Amino acid sequence: MSVSLTTDRREMLALTAGSALLPYALGGAAQATPAATAIPGTGRNLPFDNGWRFHRGAGSGFEASALDDSGWRSVDLPHDWSVEDVPGGAAPDQRGPFNKKAVGGTATGFTEGGEGWYRKHFRVDGVARDARVEILFDGVFEQSEVWLNGTKLGEHLHGYAAFAYDLTPLLNRDGDNVLVVRARSIGKNTRWYAGAGIYRQVKLDVMPRGARLARWGVGAWTRKIEGGIALVDVTTKIESVDPALTLVTRLRDAMGRVVAEASSPAIAEAKQTLTVRGPRLWSPDAPNLHTLETELRRGDLLLDRMTQSFGIRIVTMDVKRGLQVNGQRIIIRGGCIHHDNGLLGACAFADADERRVRALRARGYNAIRSSHNPMSHSLLDACDKLGMLVMNEAFDMWHVAKNPDDYHLHFPTDWDVPLTAMVQSSRNRASIIMWSIGNEIPSRSTPEGIEWGWKLANAIRRLDPTRPVTAALNGLLGPLVTASEATARPGQAGQADNASSIFLDVAGYNYRLDDVEKDFAAHPDRISVATETFPHDAWDYRALAERAPHFLGEFVWTAMDYLGEAGIGGAVPVKGKAPPMMMSNWPWVNAYCGDIDLVGHAKAASRYRDVVWGLSPLEMAVQRPLADGMTEVVGNWAWSDELQSWSWAGSEGRSLAVRVYSSGDKVALLLNGKPAGSKSLAVADKTRAEFTVPYAAGVLEAVAYKGGKVIGRRRLTTVSAPARLRVAPESPTGQSDRQALHYIGIDILDAQGRTIPDEMRKISLRVTGPAELIGFGSANPLAVGSFQSREAQSFHGRAMAILRSTGKAGSVRVEAQAEGLQSASAILRLI
Amino acid sequence: MDAPLYPPSSAYEAPVRVPQQMSTRDSSFADFLASPEALAIMKSEVPQFEGFIKNPMLAPHLGNMGPRDMVQFGGFKADALDRVDVKLKAANVRTGGAQ
Repeated sequence: MSVSLTTDRREMLALTAGSALLPYALGGAAQATPAATAIPGTGRNLPFDNGWRFHRGAGSGFEASALDDSGWRSVDLPHDWSVEDVPGGAAPDQRGPFNKKAVGGTATGFTEGGEGWYRKHFRVDGVARDARVEILFDGVFEQSEVWLNGTKLGEHLHGYAAFAYDLTPLLNRDGDNVLVVRARSIGKNTRWYAGAGIYRQVKLDVMPRGARLARWGVGAWTRKIEGGIALVDVTTKIESVDPALTLVTRLRDAMGRVVAEASSPAIAEAKQTLTVRGPRLWSPDAPNLHTLETELRRGDLLLDRMTQSFGIRIVTMDVKRGLQVNGQRIIIRGGCIHHDNGLLGACAFADADERRVRALRARGYNAIRSSHNPMSHSLLDACDKLGMLVMNEAFDMWHVAKNPDDYHLHFPTDWDVPLTAMVQSSRNRASIIMWSIGNEIPSRSTPEGIEWGWKLANAIRRLDPTRPVTAALNGLLGPLVTASEATARPGQAGQADNASSIFLDVAGYNYRLDDVEKDFAAHPDRISVATETFPHDAWDYRALAERAPHFLGEFVWTAMDYLGEAGIGGAVPVKGKAPPMMMSNWPWVNAYCGDIDLVGHAKAASRYRDVVWGLSPLEMAVQRPLADGMTEVVGNWAWSDELQSWSWAGSEGRSLAVRVYSSGDKVALLLNGKPAGSKSLAVADKTRAEFTVPYAAGVLEAVAYKGGKVIGRRRLTTVSAPARLRVAPESPTGQSDRQALHYIGIDILDAQGRTIPDEMRKISLRVTGPAELIGFGSANPLAVGSFQSREAQSFHGRAMAILRSTGKAGSVRVEAQAEGLQSASAILRLI
Repeated sequence: MDAPLYPPSSAYEAPVRVPQQMSTRDSSFADFLASPEALAIMKSEVPQFEGFIKNPMLAPHLGNMGPRDMVQFGGFKADALDRVDVKLKAANVRTGGAQ
């Protein structure tokens, strides 16, 4: 939910900077204490991310107001201590944030959790004395407790769900207030890199006392589109309502023009309908967003105002027409993603989240599954804006553990808290097309598991009956069962269905390509989607979705590399015969199964997918040469170690595997202008052809033909020795506010300006100007060092630096150096 | 065009299990462990069956996974499971009863 600010971000920064000069005294004694932030005016969603103090580690008395925290580190949120260097760590067993002995092991990518404390000083003497003040955390990993001025406000147990506290009763209206957050990520509690701390945004709502719009109390959905008119039903919950109040709801288009408005007397739960003539509809190809404004008024006096993005669209799913958005069929070309932002760890910067979505859209993805937790709201903002469909998922386990210290410990008594927060906080998102109640849930087909499945699905339908419910089901869907009229989905009473899918509107299949059509034959009402797939099956899933509309499409595991589940996607050379299965271990820290790597570049699997999905007619890659007697083990989630490279010094004369992917019917290779092979491609080849070519430096060219016509050419050229660096900001200008990020690519080039495709070399960085270096590293899936130092090692000839604005405008100079290479620099202008 | 709705149901009553022919595709490890007859047939063709499913990583998924799921991971051979299915069918081994 995006809510308007009464004070814009730049003004807020100016005000908070000014407030930093305010004197602060505690207990009458002069102390070296942090400055208190002043809250300016009233409004919703006021940013509250800057000026926190942080201590890594446990301690007692840290919640006390009087604690002298001047020695604590200053941090601005979002913050994740797990991606910071291990304190006191040293190679070879500790490298940057990675510790070979970390309790999470491969699951967390050898990163550590633990305990951390945050303190934030603020003043409220700039707002009305009776103002109501609430704080909203979008996510703290994993368990948190919050105190205000020494009094505990509560605790939260789910690491990915938003939660709020009312600060009003405990506020010191005239002096310093101290908000304290204790975050803990203890033991074996996650199967992937989760991060630790306040890793998502924090907001304040400052409102007049009395009547107000309930938190997440506005629910809107497009009920009908017909004859050039859209009907949008809106339900609004109001707290402390009285008869003199008026509720005004309106939609504005992207230009700010009011396209529909409704006004009615306010009641505790008001229902209104907006009639939009000539609506600009939202879809993946045209993500037209409106602003939904909700105002609570007493006469001319505005009491409360909430704004959020809203897309007018109708999503339907059925076995004959598949998934349709506004009547147009869309095959889900989706990817699963975890929540981390690569070198930034779990920090949910809006710019980083949007960059991820842009990278996926550029590779043809139209959907994301937020495996296996509710998404950050900054990521949902990007999906709404860029037309990315979303499956928002609640849980990775229910009542039975996957890890001894995971959320199963709290699930039986706490499940409705994160579930409600997920649905209510994001139910107006145009991008969300279905809710998932869980991933590969253990014991889901037992009597207890079946009942939990019903409870969760039914709870969602009570909160939001406008979207279907699914779950990602591994293995068997369970025994056949029938449900009664009272319990079944509408029209399904008495019909035999599998125990895991009987209460789902869409059955999610993990890795069961061959079963989708077989199961449909037995259950002709079943709509299904592949909630996880292997990358090498991309062609088969596309073909299945095209011939079988009851199958909506796929979510590959995964669209992007992520930290943790280390090495599941690694292709590993072994001596002799390949074993049937291999488990990677230290120093792997990255799953490495993504189409897109950890810093945002397309990998070999993505190039294949480009061809399968029609983005490219032809791609070519070469498998890294193996030493004699070695075999490459390529697991189900992995891709052969292929590079778009014809630079294999030392392999002269050896036969190399050249893989060509094409939508054509014939491909041919030329090496240094001479034919090096050609192959016809039939449907059974699934767009793939493999050649064996003796290596000789020069130019390897692939040509694709269809019906005798050339439809594509690709060239790989042997590069010369590394000669210089290139520093290339992804954008020459950027914002200067504290949440703004700037990505700077650093390439190692030869004298002709070509990236050295397989170069690993230490690079040093110097940043001057109003930005700080908050991430520096590469896509290397192994632990090679810090993500936050000035030095990093390139991987595949590239590294990535991420800068964060300090809050001031100006020019930032980034200079890169590497031994033996000509250095390079670039200027980034922040406005 | 009207938007669909997915309304909640009114109350929970435990679903009733439908009797089913057992097979390596549709029956879980838990089903095999619960049926001495099916287990004996399985062990006759896949002697390592019980040892395999003692893997602690598999423990939470005994009800969600079946023998056929393990073929893609190299756990069992498809031809052995085909023979198990023939024997299960011949003996008419079924799961079912009240859920």
